[in-house]
Amino acid sequence: MIECPSCKHQEFVGTLYCSECGTRLVHTSPFPAMGSDPDWVDLDAATSEGGTGRGLELESGAALGLRVLATGDMVSLVGRDNYTLGRGGSGQAIVPDVDLDHYGAQDQGISRLHAEIRIVESGVHIVDLDSVNGTLVNGERLEPQSPRLLGHKDMIQLGRLRLQLISKYRGQ
Amino acid sequence: MTADLDYYAILGIPRSASVEDIRRAYREAALRLHPDKNPGEEAAELFLQVNKAYELLSDSEQRSAYDQQLLAMEMELASKASFRSRVIQSRKRLLQLDEPQVHYLLLDIEPSQDLPEFRPPINLSIVMDRSTSMRGQRLDQLRSAVLKILQAMGEGDSTSIIAFSDRAELIVSPDQSREMSVARARLSLLQAGGGTEIGKGLEMGMEELQRNFSKEGVNHLILLTDGRTYGDEEMCIAMADRASEQGVIVHAVGIGSDWSDRLLDDLATRSGGSVAFLETPKSIMEVMDRIYAGMGRTVASRVRLGGSIAQQVDLRSAFRLLPEPMPMGDSLPMALGHLPREGIIRLLLEVVIHPIGPMRELTLAHFTIDGDVLGREADSVALPLDVRIPVSNEPDPDPPPEEITSALSLISLYRLQEKARHEAELGQSAQAARRLENLATQLLAGGERELARAALSEADRLAQSRRLSTEGEKILKYGTRALLLPARTGEP
Repeated sequence: MIECPSCKHQEFVGTLYCSECGTRLVHTSPFPAMGSDPDWVDLDAATSEGGTGRGLELESGAALGLRVLATGDMVSLVGRDNYTLGRGGSGQAIVPDVDLDHYGAQDQGISRLHAEIRIVESGVHIVDLDSVNGTLVNGERLEPQSPRLLGHKDMIQLGRLRLQLISKYRGQ
Repeated sequence: MTADLDYYAILGIPRSASVEDIRRAYREAALRLHPDKNPGEEAAELFLQVNKAYELLSDSEQRSAYDQQLLAMEMELASKASFRSRVIQSRKRLLQLDEPQVHYLLLDIEPSQDLPEFRPPINLSIVMDRSTSMRGQRLDQLRSAVLKILQAMGEGDSTSIIAFSDRAELIVSPDQSREMSVARARLSLLQAGGGTEIGKGLEMGMEELQRNFSKEGVNHLILLTDGRTYGDEEMCIAMADRASEQGVIVHAVGIGSDWSDRLLDDLATRSGGSVAFLETPKSIMEVMDRIYAGMGRTVASRVRLGGSIAQQVDLRSAFRLLPEPMPMGDSLPMALGHLPREGIIRLLLEVVIHPIGPMRELTLAHFTIDGDVLGREADSVALPLDVRIPVSNEPDPDPPPEEITSALSLISLYRLQEKARHEAELGQSAQAARRLENLATQLLAGGERELARAALSEADRLAQSRRLSTEGEKILKYGTRALLLPARTGEP
């Protein structure tokens, strides 16, 4: 089954529009949700670390963030239209908006400016910024500099670091 | 042995299936369809077919003989067929999954090129409501619309006008319809009064159509009503089925807010017709003109989608997008109505695929498309159409085709409206109201302000009175359906 990002209704794999709320299930075609939903995120318990210094939730109840799979930490993506992801470190001129240094960025093969998250009207996109080790979404390697639409629960891999996009509404 | 059944399609396996593939498909099918698990005639019938398929295909000698027959038959059919078809699928491959998955097929049916240039004779019955509620403007407008159609009728055409209230009466016979002065006089005598019994009107309309049935032409019945029929729904349905069997296409026009849209939809769907909703009688003329014009431009009538669907696959819903948007039944054969000369029939099918084991390819369905090509002596030949799709562990990385998503985005609005109405009827008014608000949001996003406003006002009404208005129900239903009209979507 796959889950509607907007209303949480369960639909069969391959469904293109949620039968409950009519939301287009863009991202959902390839991967079914996993069994008993180990990916469930408790929004209240999730902490915001990694640099943006804001909560996960908008006033409307929408939540947008990246979950670091290895630690379960949440990185908020609320408040701005774009975030660069990469490896900070001292003495560096360009600092990414989301510094993944304390997730062992160097060992994980993350470039200084590895990828960028862009939040536009049509959805959340990720762009690989010509990183050395590349960016993968749901196991598929992205062309550098070409934006790829993301959906709730999509798996992102920067070098070897695995992140998951959380994009959902609460309370519906 | 004849090749009238595609046993590969029944087992849902490719023609190239190995012995092991066949055995596996058979085992899955037999387990699922076994009479102990699945009482019911349909399952029993399918179970027998599956057994027959296995028996035949697992014997290599029988199988190769059958293969040859099947191939020869299909090649011959395709070369002679009056239609061409094209299928677009929502994914280029299915996932091998141990849970059900949804898949969409967009099916276009076109005339093949060498169809005769021919204006078909029209055999038409107009069955009009004359109950008390039709008094005044409704009947006046209807009368002038009918007269206009009579004027446009050609030499070989045949028209009858039937009016009904508690009983049906032949107002203008085909002979009288050829004399305009007689027809006008007969129509002017028509007065409104009495109840609404649609069944009797349909019965008389069908009798007239049968008497003048045109094999080389089109046979249509147009029902116009503004009220609910009393206690004869079953007879109405029986008449619609008779129409479908005999090649008559039923159109329905509902005026105002007090008619039963469900019944009229049902009547029209059975023969592949259409339903129009008129808030006011002013546009009767326009609607009748459109239906009439469509008849003259028909190149094939009584088009049907038949054949068989693989046992792993269920048809969940079907929606005709062209020529007129209309929800269809969910079983084969399916009456699709008429095929316009400069146009196509376009269907969107939603299927559910049951868990599929390791296989390289699934034959989703073996369809046949047939219909009567007008103006041609020989009987038309059905077009066979196999729909196949590869199966893989790797998901299809490409987004679904635009043609499918754009149609589905609109169909999903139609379904929301249906769901809200269903919930309102079950007394779940809060849920229904929320759904209508969702619908309104999506409509606004699509620039459909008026329809969005209607959805919101019905949501308010639900909050206050826990019911939808009969008018609002129809505005939302036919409004969301009309979003699929070619003029709106920019399709051919």
